[in-house]
Amino acid sequence: MSFTSWQYPLFLLGVVLLYWRLPPRGRLTLLLITSYVFYGVWDVRFLALLLTSTCIDYYCGRAIVGERAPVKQVFGAALLPLLWLGGCAAFTEKSGAVQTWILGAAAAFPLLFTALYELLWRKPEAAQRRAFLLLSILTNLAVLGFFKYFNFFADSLLSLAGQFGFAPGWMLPTIILPVAISFYTFQSIAYSVDIYRGKAQPARDLLTFAAYLSFFPQLVAGPIERPNDLLPQFTKTAEFAWEHIHRGLRLLLIGLFKKIFVADNCALLANHVFNGQAELNAPWAMLGVVAFAFQIYGDFSGYTDLARGSARLLGIHLNPNFRLPYAARGPSDFWTRWHITLSAWFRDYVYIPLGGNRAGTARTLGNLWVAMLLAGLWHGASWIFVLWGAYHAALLTLYRLVPWLRKLEQGGLAAAAPPPAPREPGAEPVPATCSRRPSAPDAPRGDCKSPALAIAVMFCFTLIGWAIFRAPNLAVLGNWFAAFGNWSPVAEAWVKPSLWLALHAAPLLLLQWATRRARDEVELPDWPWPVRGLAFVVLFLAIASSAVSEQEFIYFQF
Amino acid sequence: MRAATKPFLLCLALLVGAELVVRVFFARSMSGRFDYGYHPTAGFVEQPDGTVRLERAGGRRFFPQTFSRERPADTFRIFVIGDSVARGTSVASSYAGQLGELLRARGVKVESFNLSVPGYGARRKHLVLEQALQYQPSLVILHLNNSNEYEDEREWRRREEFRGWHPRNWLMKSLVVRRLHEMKQEKVYWEWLPASVRQQRAASDADAELKSSLNADKVRQWNELVRRQTGESVRLARERGARVLVVAQATAAKDAAGKPALDDNSLDELATRMRAEGAATLSMKELLSRRDWPPLFADGSHLRPDGHMVLAESLAESLRREKWVP
Repeated sequence: MSFTSWQYPLFLLGVVLLYWRLPPRGRLTLLLITSYVFYGVWDVRFLALLLTSTCIDYYCGRAIVGERAPVKQVFGAALLPLLWLGGCAAFTEKSGAVQTWILGAAAAFPLLFTALYELLWRKPEAAQRRAFLLLSILTNLAVLGFFKYFNFFADSLLSLAGQFGFAPGWMLPTIILPVAISFYTFQSIAYSVDIYRGKAQPARDLLTFAAYLSFFPQLVAGPIERPNDLLPQFTKTAEFAWEHIHRGLRLLLIGLFKKIFVADNCALLANHVFNGQAELNAPWAMLGVVAFAFQIYGDFSGYTDLARGSARLLGIHLNPNFRLPYAARGPSDFWTRWHITLSAWFRDYVYIPLGGNRAGTARTLGNLWVAMLLAGLWHGASWIFVLWGAYHAALLTLYRLVPWLRKLEQGGLAAAAPPPAPREPGAEPVPATCSRRPSAPDAPRGDCKSPALAIAVMFCFTLIGWAIFRAPNLAVLGNWFAAFGNWSPVAEAWVKPSLWLALHAAPLLLLQWATRRARDEVELPDWPWPVRGLAFVVLFLAIASSAVSEQEFIYFQF
Repeated sequence: MRAATKPFLLCLALLVGAELVVRVFFARSMSGRFDYGYHPTAGFVEQPDGTVRLERAGGRRFFPQTFSRERPADTFRIFVIGDSVARGTSVASSYAGQLGELLRARGVKVESFNLSVPGYGARRKHLVLEQALQYQPSLVILHLNNSNEYEDEREWRRREEFRGWHPRNWLMKSLVVRRLHEMKQEKVYWEWLPASVRQQRAASDADAELKSSLNADKVRQWNELVRRQTGESVRLARERGARVLVVAQATAAKDAAGKPALDDNSLDELATRMRAEGAATLSMKELLSRRDWPPLFADGSHLRPDGHMVLAESLAESLRREKWVP
């Protein structure tokens, strides 16, 4: 079910009304059922994968802290995916909806997992924790790897073999990518690792953990939450307060505005420029990529706001995922502002375990490249996303190695203010701000004299990155670059379309400007209440003026 | 709580207030707007002074014109019913207006009205005809085209959606929201974005129309619909004692060799069938192919005023030949 579908408001209203009337356990049951319904609307079969992930991580999480569950209970829970798939096979009208080999895998899973679970308990105590952690991580990565990357790697391998004259002529199965798999597997891995590191406590009952892992507002496209942030909100649900409703509604309004008014309208221009058929010149190439920059930002941050707003109506806080990303002064700054929970995930579970920046420049750069290439691949099983990751890795390298760029990004921070206080482990980095009143006490104060140049340079670099990201293939990307050499008019005039872009991007920029000093970009400033009321009217009318058929969110495909 | 609630309440009050203002003070302006041309009166408004004013019929308007309810004695009253091609850029420059001028110059006491609305297909033209027949036309000129059936169908769906209570239409129940949405579509979306850009939106009208027009089965269905509906229109007009002349549209196209060619889009054959129902016919293809026609077209289908003049002259000649006017 999409957040912008007509069903979703009714669904959410029903959930919210019921939720606040139920006792704590009832709330968890409601969240679990509704989350499974929400997810099952896309493809009911893939709930079996979510059940598998739930089962593995719940028992591994508890095993990591030395809590052993009875074997019957583990086996019983591991049977759930099979029962679910069996039900799908029995009740679906479409023959072959559940393939035999999938049923076979689901049948083997309870035996295999229970056996492995019991086997690992026989290991020496010191090795047990690590073994359960590995079991959790590897099974999550195996599921992700198979469903998301099997076709990509198999095709690439066959294509490579073909280059050497070896054509085995194998028919590869087409694996459907389950919605949300990239998000909930990463959240599961974070859960197990944080328990292993002693940063989080495992859920003590299956219902709580299942509700936590499948929580519908953030299930499909994040934010990727850490167990310490989200799990306690499930073990002890919030008391009703009107503040939850106000903040939730405001987030929903702003999210819809970003998605429907900004993203879907900018998409028209971006799609035209990157469809590979349009005749492009330099203005059109620029228009297309700027439109895409606003589209993807409006789309994904709009989704995040909708997710946060929906969760907030239930009294649950989700972390922000964006912080004025196009005001970044450099690539490091950009990644503390764009998809914050994903970049923090790669920082904490890939970059730092690899050694981070503790072992010299060459190793640091190597670690950066690994993290960014994986981040690129996470976005999609395609070489173009790997290229995008490599581009950002190169950018980070450039900004570290070229003194002028480094200085530009840092903006004379050391001279302007004392170094920021060390952050708590796992805390989000606080972006540099040029405000005279930094909202966070540890926010570094930037060089207020000339951030514009740093921002403009980084924005141009970001745009090139978006062109790589958006281009469906290298040929289209090449055409896009080549268009900058063509300044003659083409069949379609670009002036009015650029007005269209301005019409849809300017209100977002205004909103961002208004929230530039707030810690959260959806916090409206301390305007008098009538002004806030008028702002809500404008946002609502902007949404209403653009409400067309439901358009899919970009990040659903990841 | 109160501080946070106030902006929401204000927002709600302003939206409800605006809706009430529109429904109370702009009721007439909004009336029929969301019937998309399927309003029972089709945009004909009878005035207390015995005249009939042509108003909006859906989101689009007739050219403003007024005529008396009763046809003046000894006056030949012509109604031209069609789409954007017959509508032209003004009443005076359209073939409806020029035909009236030509006949008046010949001493005929005539009044000629342009009842064409852009985008109207056979179904909505029939609704206009039903209204027009109440006002004793001496001649109805039906401009036959088959490129608007998609739009007729879409507008019918829109009307039904607007009248229905499906949750996906709840937002559009508000006249303010609906009007704002349509204004943006008409004044910004259609004006600022080229067709090639609009077609990128999979669900857009343009794209859907393009897809439909490439679907041979769909085109056959449309042609059948045009044939059936136009036949009904001609029969109705004849039953009510009005003479009917069917003008078959031709479009500027290119032949296999890439040379400019006129295409009747199978409408000539359709018009010929209407003769059996008692209508006179005029083929634009036949008429225009006898002269240097490309300069007469403003685009693939719409005519320049000179093109309208050529049609008007031919129509005047047809009326004389049929002995409908002296």
